[in-house]
Amino acid sequence: MMQQQCRRDGGRAEARPPTLPSAPGSFVSPHPTVGRQLLKLVPTVQRGPGLWALFLNPLPCCRPLCYEQSERRLHKSLQMKMEEMSLSGLDNSKLEAIAQEIYADLVEDSCLGFCFEVHRAVKCGYFFLDDTDPDSMKDFEIVDQPGLDIFGQVFNQWKSKECVCPNCSRSIAASRFAPHLEKCLGMGRNSSRIANRRIANSNNMNKSESDQEDNDDINDNDWSYGSEKKAKKRKSDKNPNSPRRSKSLKHKNGELSNSDPFKYNNSTGISYETLGPEELRSLLTTQCGVISEHTKKMCTRSLRCPQHTDEQRRAVRIYFLGPSAVLPEVESSLDNDSFDMTDSQALISRLQWDGSSDLSPSDSGSSKTSENQGWGLGTNSSESRKTKKKKSHLSLVGTASGLGSNKKKKPKPPAPPTPSIYDDIN
Amino acid sequence: MVVSKMNKDAQMRAAINQKLIETGERELLKELLRAKLIECGWKDQLKAHCKEVIKEKVLEHVTVDDLVPEITPKGRALVPESVKKELLQRIRTFLAQHASL
Repeated sequence: MMQQQCRRDGGRAEARPPTLPSAPGSFVSPHPTVGRQLLKLVPTVQRGPGLWALFLNPLPCCRPLCYEQSERRLHKSLQMKMEEMSLSGLDNSKLEAIAQEIYADLVEDSCLGFCFEVHRAVKCGYFFLDDTDPDSMKDFEIVDQPGLDIFGQVFNQWKSKECVCPNCSRSIAASRFAPHLEKCLGMGRNSSRIANRRIANSNNMNKSESDQEDNDDINDNDWSYGSEKKAKKRKSDKNPNSPRRSKSLKHKNGELSNSDPFKYNNSTGISYETLGPEELRSLLTTQCGVISEHTKKMCTRSLRCPQHTDEQRRAVRIYFLGPSAVLPEVESSLDNDSFDMTDSQALISRLQWDGSSDLSPSDSGSSKTSENQGWGLGTNSSESRKTKKKKSHLSLVGTASGLGSNKKKKPKPPAPPTPSIYDDIN
Repeated sequence: MVVSKMNKDAQMRAAINQKLIETGERELLKELLRAKLIECGWKDQLKAHCKEVIKEKVLEHVTVDDLVPEITPKGRALVPESVKKELLQRIRTFLAQHASL
């Protein structure tokens, strides 16, 4: 490289003599740095002499022969210097010319590149793809009128429109049409929930006296029409249409054997304290009836409810209906038949005895004691008859419990404690 | 002397070009120019012009040689002044930097 060669010349970067024209007198230096460099040349002889300097300060050796040699040397050095300063030493116009050339080259490159692209597009056939025919251009032209969007549609054209419902033949506003249809046709999530709730509420109203299937803990103290009010309050507490409501109910014992599959029951069971003897009896013939330790309520599931054992059910029936009470279903091949006859008689006798069967709704403990007393009075008459069978029944219970424990698992912890209570009673 | 100077010029230019390529500045400038031309819409204008040319030609097979003499002068002319100035400025800067080396 020229520049590298020049570097070897002692790195005389500072003093760069200008490109002198052939006639030393006609020196022109438009470049400012060049002028400065020239001035630097003047005092120092040893640094880059140049022709100019030569005339100002003669060489030390002034012999003619030396002069020729020196001139040759000068030429060489000058050439080297010229090469060295090729870029910066140029006048501005030259630089500019070069710059222009470079720019032109770049633009030409771009144009050529573009030509190649176009040619390829034409050859591959996708060059004219983005052209549309003039008809379509007119059809889909952008609309720029007030009151219209760019497609030419009116803004709220459908707001005030009314649709006729095919089901009930009413005219409904367009924005309310979909929810109306949902309710009207009875399809969709919300409509089934609403319907179920309505059924549940109507059931509550109808059956508040008898099988209280959907009562919750709110019905503890009022076993009459107050349940209706509280049912409504309960409804407003939670969002009636939220899916969470239905999910939370799945795990409860609210299932009835005879219930509609879409029905969501809202209670764990029935509070036995609010039931009269008649209701209790009918309840116990159709439902599990086992009293849950947490809530002190009877289980409303079927007689074969997996959460409670037969032994528990039996215990409950004994508790409520007397020692001779028996499960409506016959599980084991024990001599239950013999009990049935006597049981029914005992039941009837007991049920006829009103007395303090009007159970007080206070603590279960006190109620139990009162119940015991109540039932005890009732049983006194038949106890003598039943002592034998009571004992055998107890043994039966014992075996049954043993069997029960073998056969069935006790899924809930309250299961074991409940027999203990009734054992005390018995 | 003049001839040598001309050679010098040629050599100089060659040297400059070489420097441009070596430092990667040429590629940079090229990409810059391309981006700017797309931004300013030069490419789309030229494309429209091309379409007209091709439609006029109505040739079965348009070759690159056909296109180049039509497109290049138009392309050169269509470059906006701002782009040109900016690019020239960059080149001058480069020259000023690397001329001192």
